This record gives sequence, structure tokens and C-alpha cells, in this order.
Amino acid sequence: LNAAPRRAPRQQVRFLPTPAPGGGGAVELVPTRVPVLADHPLVRGPRFRRLKIGAGHRLDVKSSGVFVLGIGHGNKLLTDLYNCHLTKVYTVSGLFGKATDDFSDTGKLIEKTTFDHITREKLERIVAVIQGTNHKALLMYSNIDMKTQEAYELAVKGLIRPMEKSPPIITAIRCVHFALPEFQLEIQCLHETQQYLRKMVHEIGLELKSSAVCTQVRRTRDGVFTLDDALPRTQWDLRSIQDAIRNCRLRVKTELEKTLG
Amino acid sequence: LRAAMAGVLRAVRPLLLLLLRRGLRGTAGPPSARQLREAEEAAPVFQYAGKAARRKDRVFVWGFSYSGALGVPSFVKPDVGWKKPRRIQPTPYRLETEEKISSAACGYGFTLLASNTTDITKVWGMGLNKDSQLGFQRSRRDQTKGYEYVLEPSPIPLPLEKPQQTRVLQVSCGRAHSLVLTDSEGVFTMGNNSYGQCGRKVVEDEIYSESHLIHQLNEFDSRVVQVVCGQDHSLFRTKKGAVYACGWGADGQTGLGHHNVTSVPTKLHGDIAGVNIIQVSSYGDCCLAVSDEGEVFGWGNSEYFQLASITETTQVNVPRHLPFKIGKIKEAACGGTGNAVLTEEGNVFVWGYGILGKGPNLTETAVPEMIPPSLFGWSDFSSDIRVAHVRCGLSQFAALTNRGELFVWGKNLRGCLGTGRMEDQYFPWRVTVPGEVVDVACGVDHMVSIVKSFT
Repeated sequence: LNAAPRRAPRQQVRFLPTPAPGGGGAVELVPTRVPVLADHPLVRGPRFRRLKIGAGHRLDVKSSGVFVLGIGHGNKLLTDLYNCHLTKVYTVSGLFGKATDDFSDTGKLIEKTTFDHITREKLERIVAVIQGTNHKALLMYSNIDMKTQEAYELAVKGLIRPMEKSPPIITAIRCVHFALPEFQLEIQCLHETQQYLRKMVHEIGLELKSSAVCTQVRRTRDGVFTLDDALPRTQWDLRSIQDAIRNCRLRVKTELEKTLG
Repeated sequence: LRAAMAGVLRAVRPLLLLLLRRGLRGTAGPPSARQLREAEEAAPVFQYAGKAARRKDRVFVWGFSYSGALGVPSFVKPDVGWKKPRRIQPTPYRLETEEKISSAACGYGFTLLASNTTDITKVWGMGLNKDSQLGFQRSRRDQTKGYEYVLEPSPIPLPLEKPQQTRVLQVSCGRAHSLVLTDSEGVFTMGNNSYGQCGRKVVEDEIYSESHLIHQLNEFDSRVVQVVCGQDHSLFRTKKGAVYACGWGADGQTGLGHHNVTSVPTKLHGDIAGVNIIQVSSYGDCCLAVSDEGEVFGWGNSEYFQLASITETTQVNVPRHLPFKIGKIKEAACGGTGNAVLTEEGNVFVWGYGILGKGPNLTETAVPEMIPPSLFGWSDFSSDIRVAHVRCGLSQFAALTNRGELFVWGKNLRGCLGTGRMEDQYFPWRVTVPGEVVDVACGVDHMVSIVKSFT
């Protein structure tokens, strides 16, 4: 970053003595533009000594996926994005037959159960009911008076969602892969933590009269940022970061305008 | 203990350390990965449900309980000192039944539950019994008298000829009378008959309470396949697609062309003559019938714009075709002041007066308006959600989706919507029932649902 060409140094107008065109010893003051010495690279030093980097929604150690960071002025946008309360999409993989203390497969084993009675249909039924009750919670925590016409119109468009702090709410959940003993769910949620998703997998196992642990939590979308925008470890260099910022700038702006007005 | 031992080790001199350390080599440090794996494999496996685990059938009730219609006696008369009487049950409450209930119906303050078993007891009733709408319930305190309020599901003795072969297919309840449909012995009616709604001759000054009389109706052109009770009239639909009616007709709800009382089930003509009707519905004083081609016919009270699309009069006493261009209609449901139909695509259309389900601004319309499917959970994520059934109470509506979810809207009279709140609901709201809802019956101030558990 520091090797990139800098801004041109500021110019100032100074009245410098120059020998008069007439000759002789007379000195004339001629206004000339000279660069300010204070802007000289040797005086100032490197332009960037440290960068302000802020993090978006948290992602814990055992999970992977999209993690939004803001650099410099982008940190202000981060707060605005947080206030937009946009949903995030996760791909959660689980394994039937085990129950551990921290709901993931690396925890201490608590119980092993059979799981051959579980079918995809039963799982989808449970998943549909989770979506239903969470949809109800979505409407309740959005703090809109249900008796008004505008509440009805927002509910029709599906735009009701809590605009303040609320407990974790799952807006959509479906089963994308099922092969006993493993299964994979796609979960779209608000205000959640990854441990809550692992606990959800454990509770699904309990509902199906068995037990389940979560093997993988991967965030595939965070608001407007999807997996395609995310940079893998090999691309953490200046050029890719600059391209990524440029690509997302317009989308972020439109989303903020749409939600916050 | 290990930490204390380590502390001791450090304090002791090196000589003793050697001896002690050899002895302590047997204790393990943190378990290695191999030890963990072996411990896991050796752990016992618990089985909570076998491969042949069946889904259980449950009944959930909610609404006003003081009439006994919910069938939970401890709500009205608490059996333990610390319990308080519960006037309203705002959320679904599980009702324990002995048999699997296949059909339920809610009347005005009472409920009937029926099972299609071949056992002797096939129908249970609870709630108001002042007109013997639940048959004769002998009082245990005085053997000559009957109960006026039945607080828990009590068997209704039906005078069947072959009690161990006949099955009860369906039950229906009106304001003060009930109908029980069997597969081979016709229809049994009981309760108030002051307008001939039980299908027998009106007797002057008849006392209906503590009556043992259960009338049997068998003279129809073919087997009866559906019975529906309006407020004070009864409708019978036969296998051939004909509709019969009896009872009060002052609003034209019997559809027989006059406004008098009919005490014998008579066939309806008008626009439904010759049409194969596949479903009839009524709860108040208006009636709707659906034909096999998806056309809907209506008759009865039209004071609330239910039939205003074809006529300005407030009573229609002959079935008339309602020319709605909303698609092929699969099911219709008639409430007190509002009606709802379900089309083949799974959309719900409502019209009439009252809280219709499209926000507080829509209070009356004569032409059906569609309720947006996104209110029933339809979205791009789950686009195969359809409404499978619609039901009507007196001023509420209920819709069942193909995923087994129950949505209710309308006036929340004494908590009958089951949402947990006491406010009226202006658009469809999900009721949280711990199971997949198979059927729901709506009454005036309570509802009963037949549910299958998830696993």
C-alpha cells in the first residue's frame, strides 16, 4: 500500500526573491508555486503506518465461511449494516447418533443412540415446524402493532423483521442433503450465534427421538456479501482486496439506502 | 487431587521425587485421542424409538372452558386446592382420549368427538347439554336426572342395530342439536327440535332437556355421505350428489323455496337440481355447496353481502349459482357473517362482512378477495406450501396447509383463536400446535383440532 503512488505534495505560493530581469543587485519578489516541505516523503514517512480494520458479525473458531471486515472509512458502514438487521445464511452439517456436551463432534461424549428410525420425511416435518414457530417469533419481536393496515401489508411482502436486539430467529430452514447418519441443513437466520445453530442441531436430534451433533457450520452469506465476494486465504493481497471493495460498494450503498432510508 | 499431589511433589526433595514419580506413572494425564475413541466405541447405545415407531394421534382443544366444551373438568372445577379455575384456555391444550378420534365438531358451547371404531362406544360429547344435544347423560348423584353441563368426554349411547359393525363416519353440531352420520344405519339426530332441525315432527311444548330421544333418519335417495348443521337447520348430502335440508327456514337457509319450518328432510332444487354436489357447508344462516366441476352455489341469509354478488335481497330461499371467476373451487366454508372458499391451486378467497383476513381495512366485500399466499408461509424458499382445507367458525376462519400448519384469523371471542393473545387477528396467524394438524373444527368460542405427532 505504501509503495503505491502518493498524492502529489501540496503547493503553496511563496514570494521568492529572484534576481530582477534588469540585472544589477536588485531583488524582486516573484510569486512561485513551490511544494510544501512538510509534504515531502522523507519528512512525512510512510503514508500508512497502521490500518483501522473492524469486524462485522462474529464467526467463532470452529466455524468457517464469509467474514465481513471494514477498512478505514468502511467501519462506519459496518455500524449501518449492523442496524439493517439483514439475514445470514449458513450451511450446517450434522451427524445422528451421538450427543456431546458442546453440541459439536469434538466435545465430550454424553450419549449414543440409535438413528435407523429417522427418515427424511420426519426431518423435514421437524424443520418445517421450526420455521413456523420462528416465523411467529419474527412477527412478535418486530414490535409492530398487528392491528394496523401497514402491519398487514408488510406481512404480505414478508418485510417484517425485528429492527432492534432480539433473541436468535431463524427465518428459513430446509434440508438439502440427507444420508444417514449425516444430514445437511441450510439455515437463514437473524441475530444468531454459531453455538445456537449447533444447539439447534442437537435439539433436532432430540425431537427425532435420537441425538445429533454438529460437524460443520459454514456461513455462505452475510447480508449482501456472498461466497463469491469472499476472498480465500490465497487472495489476501492488495489488488484482490481493492477489487473486492470496488465490487461490493454499489450493492452495500443500495442496500443501506433501501433499508435505512 | 492431582493438583494437590503436584504441589506436594514440588515441595518434596529430588530423592523422594524419583520414588514417588515411578509410583505415579500409572495415573493418566489428559486422555489421548486413541483412548477417547476407544471409550466412545465402548459406550452403550440407547434406543428411544424403534424402526416401527408409529406417529401418535392427539386431540388439542382451546377456547372458552366454563361451558365444559373443552372436556377438561379441572378447568371448571379444580381437583386440587392450589389450582384455579381457568375460564379461557388461550393456547392448544392436549385432551387425553381413549380412542383415536377421526371426526370432531364444535357446536355453540358443546363438542362432539367421534371415532370410526367398531367398539360399542363411538361418540363422546362434552359441554352444554340443556337440550340433550349430547344425548341423555345420567347423573351419578340422582339416577333419574341428567347432567346439564358435561365437563369431560362422556360416551353417547346411540340406538344402533349392529353396534359392533357400524362405524361412525362424521359428526356435526349446530346451536342446540347434533347429527351423527354412520356408514350403514343412516343419520342419528338429537337435541333441540323446535324448528324441526332434528328431522322429526315438531311437538308443541316439548321439553328437550333430559330427553332420551335420538331420532334415526334413513329415507334419502342414496347413502348420506356428509351432514352439516347450521344454526337451527340441518343439511344432508347424499352419494348421488343431492342435498336435503330440514329445520328453520326464515332466512331461506333450507333452500326449499319458502320461509317456513321443515321437519322432514326434503331434497333441494333450484340451481343445484341435477348437479353433483361434492361438499356442503354451513354454520350460521347461510349455506354454500360446491359441485364436482368447481362451481359454488349459495342460499340462505345474505344480510352480510354473502350472496350480494347475484341479488340485492337479504334472504335467498332457493340455491343460486354464484358466478365467481376465481378458478375451480375445491372446498367452501360458511361462517356467521363471512365465507371462504379454497381453489384447486391452493388459494383462499374470502368475502362477506367482518374480519376477513386482509387487514383491518377490509371489513366487507361482496366479491371474493384472495388472501396472499405469503401469509400462509409461502415464499421463494418454500414454494410448495398450499392451503389444503378451510374451516369456519361463527366469526373466525381456520386454514390448514399441506405441511400440517394451522392458520387462524377473525374475532378472538374468549380466546378461541388459540394464538395466546386476546386481541382479534386481522390476517392469518400461525397457531403453535406440537404436531401436524390433520383436521380442525371451529365453534363459537372454542376450537378442537385432530393432530398427528411428529415422530
